[in-house]
This record gives sequence, structure tokens and C-alpha cells, in this order.
Amino acid sequence: MNWFFFSSPPTFYRLAGWMAPMFFISAAVLTAAGLYTGFVVAPTDAQQGEVYRIIFIHVPAAWMSMFLYFVMACYGAASLTFNTRLSAMMARAIAPTGALFTVLALWSGAFWGRPTWGTYWAWDARMTSELVLLFLYVGFIALANAFEDPRRGDRASALLAIIGLVNLPIIYFSVKWWNTLHQGSSVSFKGTSMHTAMLWGMLLMALACWAYAIGAALVRVRSIILVREARARWVREIAA
Amino acid sequence: MSHDYFIWMSYGAAAIAVAAELVALRIGRARALRKVEEERELEAQD
Repeated sequence: MNWFFFSSPPTFYRLAGWMAPMFFISAAVLTAAGLYTGFVVAPTDAQQGEVYRIIFIHVPAAWMSMFLYFVMACYGAASLTFNTRLSAMMARAIAPTGALFTVLALWSGAFWGRPTWGTYWAWDARMTSELVLLFLYVGFIALANAFEDPRRGDRASALLAIIGLVNLPIIYFSVKWWNTLHQGSSVSFKGTSMHTAMLWGMLLMALACWAYAIGAALVRVRSIILVREARARWVREIAA
Repeated sequence: MSHDYFIWMSYGAAAIAVAAELVALRIGRARALRKVEEERELEAQD
């Protein structure tokens, strides 16, 4: 299969238009299933009571904030390496959704921290590195839009995204490297200590966030393609 | 303070954030189409 066929903006524009609604529908169904599992099926936590149910939004949002950054940096690296226009557009399209999930992870973490730790915020390694991730997203978006020539913005922001990758292992391992207020991972490749229903609720919500993020990125990249390719004949034919 | 407050603040913020992003996506799409329209009018004038 020739993958460069899909890196053509006209081809990808049509493909994204076809795929985005399916991802949004999947996200809605998975959210309903995840919330039902998390709020109805999953039992009350013995130590934290009902407030632990914030986990079903907090953990998926935190996972997505890191995963989307990684994907964004990969697209940035691809745009620098192969000079493909679409890669840079995808990196731009992912950034706002990644920033949104980072805000949600920080926000829900704060509202989980208050009843369990007694504070909304602490300059703990996990929380601080997640805040740095938000600054990286904001920096990426600002840098990408700081140049009159969008290609220069693409290159500068891609470089920032690649450098910022160093923050991802810091976020992930922060709870192991330092004594943090934040608890360690509940789920790892070795297994989990969670109740099955709690785990399923979290995984369904993670899949929902994943589907939503892909749908949102696809819709956004279509707008970016239209603006960037506004002078191309195929765009005018579509908009006519 | 009831735990319900903390749960609602978390999920409520998530719902508002997603709704705001969906609105922003629609606005972005409308802006992009307007830009294409402007380009077409400019070319027609030339």
C-alpha cells in the first residue's frame, strides 16, 4: 500500500470527512457505556467512597494528554523529515485537543485532590510535570501561529514538540523517581489492583476519549487544509 | 462538603470543555469556508 497516497491533502480531506462522524458516534456510545459502568456497575470504593469515580474522567484525560502529545510530536518529526504538508497540519490539528485533555486532567485532579489530600494543588512532581505539558501545548500553538509564513511556523513548532517529548517520561515516571503526593499507577503492563468493573469503566472512557480526540482532530485538520489550500482548484470545487 | 460537588465539578467541566471545542470546530469550519470564498472572489475580480 502506498501510504503517501493518503498524505495528499485532497485525498485525506475526503477520507477525514468520511471518518470523523464515525469516530464521534463511537465516542458517544463508548462514553455512555463507560459512564454506565463507572457510575452504576462499579462498586463504591472502600477507602474513598464515591469521590473515586472522578477516576473515570481523570485517568483517561491524563493518558490522552500524554498520548496526543506523543502523536503530535511524531507528526512534527514526520513533517521535518519528509517535508509533508499534511503531517504539519495534523500536528496543528491535534494540539488544541491535547491541551484540552491536559486541562481536564489537571482540573479533575484538583477536584479529586481536595477531598482526598486536603488540597486542590501541590507542587508535586506529577502535577508540576503535567502543568509543564500544558505549557508545551500552549507554546506549540502560539509558535505555530506566530509566523506569517505557515511553513516556518510548522518547522518551529515541530522542533518545540520534539524537544518537549522529554517531558513525557518525566510525567510517567515522576511517581517512581520522586516521593510524590500523587499515587502510583493503578494499571500497568504487569496487571492491576483495581476491581474489574472499575477497570472496565476506565478503559471504556479511555476509548471514548480516544475516539473523540481522533474525530476532533480530523474535523480540525479539514478546516486547516481548506485554509492552506484555499487557492487550489479542488478546494474551490468543494466549496462551490 | 459533599463528594457530589467534586464529582459534578469534574464531569461538568469535561462536558463544558467538549461542548466548547465542538462549537470552536464549527466556527473554524465556517471561517475556513469563508476564506475559500474570499479567495474565489479575489480570483474572479482578477
